[in-house]
Amino acid sequence: LDSLRMENENRIAASRLIRVSPHEVENQLELSLRQAYESLDPKLRPPFSLEIPDPQEYLELNKAIAFGVLCEPDSCKTHIKHLHALVTDGYALFTSLLVGIVVELYVNLVDSAKIQLVWVTKEMVDVSSVGIEDLISLLLRRIGTGDYSDQNVWLCSELVGLFLEKWDCLLDDLPLVLTSVLYCFLRLLADHCRVLGVVKLDYVKRLEIRFCVKMFREQLDLCLKIGRDLVRLLQDLSHVSEFREIWNDLVSNHCSDIYKLRTSSRYFVLRITPEMETKLRFLLGNVKLGSHKRHQIWFLKKFLLGPEKEMLLIDIVRFICCGIHPTNEIIRSEIMPRWAVIGWLLELCRQNQYIERSVKLALFYDWLFFNESIDNIMNVEPAALLMVWSIPQYPHITHSLLEFLLHIVETYDIARRDIIVRGVTSVFREIERKGVIRSLDIFLANPALAPDLKKKLANLFSCHQEKVTVNLHQLSVPSKQTCLSLDSNLKECSTKI
Amino acid sequence: MGYAFACATSFKSGFCSEQSKMTHMLFLKDIVPAAQNNINTRFIILDKGRAPAANKGKSCIALAADETAAVHIQLWGEECEAFEAGDIVKLTNGIFSYVRNSGLLLRAGKRGKMEKMGEFTVAFVETPNICEIQWNPDPANPKRYIHSGVLSAFSRIFPPLP
Repeated sequence: LDSLRMENENRIAASRLIRVSPHEVENQLELSLRQAYESLDPKLRPPFSLEIPDPQEYLELNKAIAFGVLCEPDSCKTHIKHLHALVTDGYALFTSLLVGIVVELYVNLVDSAKIQLVWVTKEMVDVSSVGIEDLISLLLRRIGTGDYSDQNVWLCSELVGLFLEKWDCLLDDLPLVLTSVLYCFLRLLADHCRVLGVVKLDYVKRLEIRFCVKMFREQLDLCLKIGRDLVRLLQDLSHVSEFREIWNDLVSNHCSDIYKLRTSSRYFVLRITPEMETKLRFLLGNVKLGSHKRHQIWFLKKFLLGPEKEMLLIDIVRFICCGIHPTNEIIRSEIMPRWAVIGWLLELCRQNQYIERSVKLALFYDWLFFNESIDNIMNVEPAALLMVWSIPQYPHITHSLLEFLLHIVETYDIARRDIIVRGVTSVFREIERKGVIRSLDIFLANPALAPDLKKKLANLFSCHQEKVTVNLHQLSVPSKQTCLSLDSNLKECSTKI
Repeated sequence: MGYAFACATSFKSGFCSEQSKMTHMLFLKDIVPAAQNNINTRFIILDKGRAPAANKGKSCIALAADETAAVHIQLWGEECEAFEAGDIVKLTNGIFSYVRNSGLLLRAGKRGKMEKMGEFTVAFVETPNICEIQWNPDPANPKRYIHSGVLSAFSRIFPPLP
């Protein structure tokens, strides 16, 4: 009975920081923060000791202060003063504890602790703490897509308010962080401006627009550092009056330059929560093709239920293409390949034309401006393999993707069509050259594909005068590399195409 | 980003460090029927059955698995609602034995407990299913069971998804 009572007391004590469930293991991070706080309690009130703590005590003090700051709003200023007095590492340890809390505990934090978390983040911005950019990135990742709950709208507005408030400081010390913030809010605005009838979004939308417009008006060079995906993002807002001039200016004066700048994959992870990232990496690194169905159901139920969540598919596909690059060992194994996951995600958005188009654009975006000296073939490989492997049993998928690609080449940026033609033909050449596919005959000479589609593709190659060898063999076997990656588990694919 | 990545990629080490901390952590393939509540293991829930009408709210059966085998588990009382498919569960002092009218089941029993310790990150197999095995008492020691045949490669209650 005693041990049960102690256990209950532990649970109640834990509820100062996080909500606990009776059927969950105790969280080790929360436990260690709480224990540090409880054991150091007398030392956390003034007068503070002037002794220099040894490394172990320094760690415990940081943990105790972190717990105190988040759980005691009335004493948090005292705790922070204490931290300022004893810090010797540029707040690196303290910030990493906050990062850990956002990764592991954010979902279960009690509301008052979330409020405190935003407060202490501002404190860390003020001192330019070591690791503050990681903390900011993780908080941005906690703003959910397609989530119009009070909690999420609150977090969104608190954060955009923080970045407006701390503008000068961030601009001086961490200008690239502002580009991450811009990426996030441009994506969120695309969602917020499309959804109708959610009144509580009005306030946060105004703040988001204010931030983004300020960035473009005052720090255009910084914005352009995002690279080519900036065009993709801004296009979804070109219908919003505040962005029309910005869009026109971008298209007229800057497109040619930023198309050449590949967007770093660190931006794409910003719209993926840590849990989503863990699960996607697990799916693509540990789950065998053929044993993937339950994992897919769980992923769907957790993150993709509801029409408002479909916007997430755009970010997930972009992230998979550019942010998850499996090793050769994984590619050669039976592990679920990226093209199969993307094929599944594409099926999920067939009901909504806007989402489907946006997802396909996210899938093919690196094709449009591909430059073999700066772009990574791993970013274009999933689309290529999806088109190849769909041919035997789902040729309509290959058709739909190829048609989209050819259509986009003609219509995405008519004034700069030549850049796009060069990009797309480079991809086809590179995927053949590097053995992602054995030969372009898989497309050009395949009886399963419609003749006019093959003709358009052949025209594309010839008009750019690429040296593309067109063999006369009717059948092609996919490259050994792709063959080894899929075995008989894959009922849907034949080995001959 | 050291800490964040460590968290994101720690699923592999999680179980191993658990094993070293706890005594007698077993893989499902190594569990044999016995009348003792000393089973410490961890598994992921694949599918939860609906509780039969008479038992609604009292108990239900679920399919669970780890990297080595699958099993039928019994969820009792609050456990029925507390756990969902995709949950990774740690079982302490559980029992694996025949339950009247239900066959072999792994459960917490009176002295054990089940706790959620994660989600999703187990690469499981659905065969063999240790409940779909023919167990016979060891002639040398009737309290011990030995594996003497296979009744079904997969669960007959929760067949694999098509």
